[in-house]
Parts: sequence; C-alpha cells; structure tokens
Amino acid sequence: FCPGCRALQPPGPRPDLFRLMDCDRSFRVDAQQLQRRFRSLQRAVHPDRFGQRPPKEQYYSEQHSSLINKAYQTLLNPLSRGLYLLELHGVKPAQETDCDGDSVFLTEIMEINEKLAEPKNEDIFEEIETLIKVKQEELTKEVTAAFERDDLQEAKKLLAKMKYFANLEDKLKNKKIPS
Amino acid sequence: VAVGDAVPWQVVDHYENPRNVGSLDRKAKNVGTGLVGAPACGDVMKLQVEVDENGKIIDARFKTFGCGSAIASSSLATEWVKGKTVDEALKIKNTDIAKELCLPPVKLHCSMLAEDAIKAALADYKLKQDPNKEESEKKA
Repeated sequence: FCPGCRALQPPGPRPDLFRLMDCDRSFRVDAQQLQRRFRSLQRAVHPDRFGQRPPKEQYYSEQHSSLINKAYQTLLNPLSRGLYLLELHGVKPAQETDCDGDSVFLTEIMEINEKLAEPKNEDIFEEIETLIKVKQEELTKEVTAAFERDDLQEAKKLLAKMKYFANLEDKLKNKKIPS
Repeated sequence: VAVGDAVPWQVVDHYENPRNVGSLDRKAKNVGTGLVGAPACGDVMKLQVEVDENGKIIDARFKTFGCGSAIASSSLATEWVKGKTVDEALKIKNTDIAKELCLPPVKLHCSMLAEDAIKAALADYKLKQDPNKEESEKKA
C-alpha cells in the first residue's frame, strides 16, 4: 500500500514467496504460522474488499490475492516447497529429457502402480494409501536433512522420488472419486 | 485443455487400443527388460523384448504409467521393435516415434523416454548373453 494515499500498489516483480509469507528461506516451515499469515494477507488484499476502489486497485488486488494463493500452496506442500527452494538456490530442476535408471526404486513404483491399476482390489486401496503416505513422510524427513546439511544435489534426487509418489497419490485420489 | 491442444488421434488410438500391454518373463535368458523413469513428470515405463537365437526380436511388451503420449510412445515402440534385429532396433530414434504420433513439442520428451526404454531393454538382453564379456570389459 502507498504510505501517502493508502492506495494499493501492484506486487513487485519476481517476488520471493518465502519473504511474502514471512517465512525463513528454509525447508522447515511452521504450517500453522503459514496459514495464519495466509489468512491475514488475504484479509488485507482480497478483491472482495476492493469493490469500491478504482479499477486499477481492483486489478492489483486480484494480482496480490492470486500471488498469495500461489505462495501458500507452494510452501505448504513439501514437494513444491523443496523444488522452489532448489530454484532459489540456482539448482536446475529435473529436465524433461532426464532419464532415471534406478531399477530398484522404479520397480517399487511400477509395482504400486500395477496394484492400483487392478480393477478388483478396492480394499487394497487403503493399504496402498498408507504405504504412499509412509513413503512420502520418510522422503520428506530425508529432504529436510539434505537441505539442513546443504546437500542440494541429494535434495534434488529425493524430490524426484517424491514426484513419483505424488503422482501415485493423485491417481489414488482419482480412483476414490466415484465416476 | 485449451483450444489448439487437441490430442493427436494417433495418441488416442494407442491409448484406447494399446498394443502389447503386459509382461514377459524377466528371468528368461532371451528376454531383455528396460525400466526407465522421467523425474520431471514422474512417468515410469517398462519395455521388454524377447529375442530368438538369430538375434531377431520376436515379441515385445510394455507397461507405462504416465500421460497418454508416454503410453502411446511405448506402445508404438513395442510395435516397431518386433521383427527387427537387436542392432536394427537400436537405430529407432525418438524423432521417428514423435513424428509418427504427431506429438506436440511439449510431449517430445515422452518419445525420448521410449527410445531410452528400448535401449535399456536391449542393453539388458546383451548383458544377459555375455555377462563375462561385460565383466572383463569393465575391468579393462
């Protein structure tokens, strides 16, 4: 907001999402603090509060609000948070043309996918869901440790593994929605 | 899906009528298994080939978990390797796969994954034929 006339200003270029949400630039975040910050920011800039303001300010408010949504979602989810941190540290994300050859890990992913694809196994879904959650928690712990000792390459490898599990999580969610 | 992002019918065809989905016995000496993943999008692809005593690929199967283009690329790959010799199959390029399926630029990496899968399967087959040779090559 402009200190003089209190009019809403546009968001700065290339904002640092951590700074925006008042969090340290770290993989560890306090989810409750993040949520509080999210709500308080949205209270200040949400378009609903700018209905009477000039169109330019309404537009800025939409930009702010959507940026805050993006920051919140990015920092809340461990995978997106980790990938964003890597980006801030100048580490190139996994390229589309990269190819993974880790047989043991990929076999595990294949097997879970195959179980999920079997049409009859409805009860197995709970089992798979628990397995995926456990794996994601394990990986999140390992990523936390990697960032803490500044091992960005290891963090990158672990985040790649998390991506496969995130896909499985999505597939499971889709299976649960009755078609 | 935005207008202009229409899925090519070739991809839809492979998605709805996939050829050669399944598995071969990975323990068999004449079966090569390639298992590859794309870390950026989390797709996994398994491609297997069965080779006869003359070095000709007589059967191929795939299992892919990922987007339609990845499924179509691996399905097409299994179709193409059948009947080829190991060396001929090694020449299959991702650009040919992409062209055949009319893959848009954003999905070209799927055809690359399929090419990697073919190579991985054939490398696995070769290794099984002559493990001693591979060992001595490694030591050299």
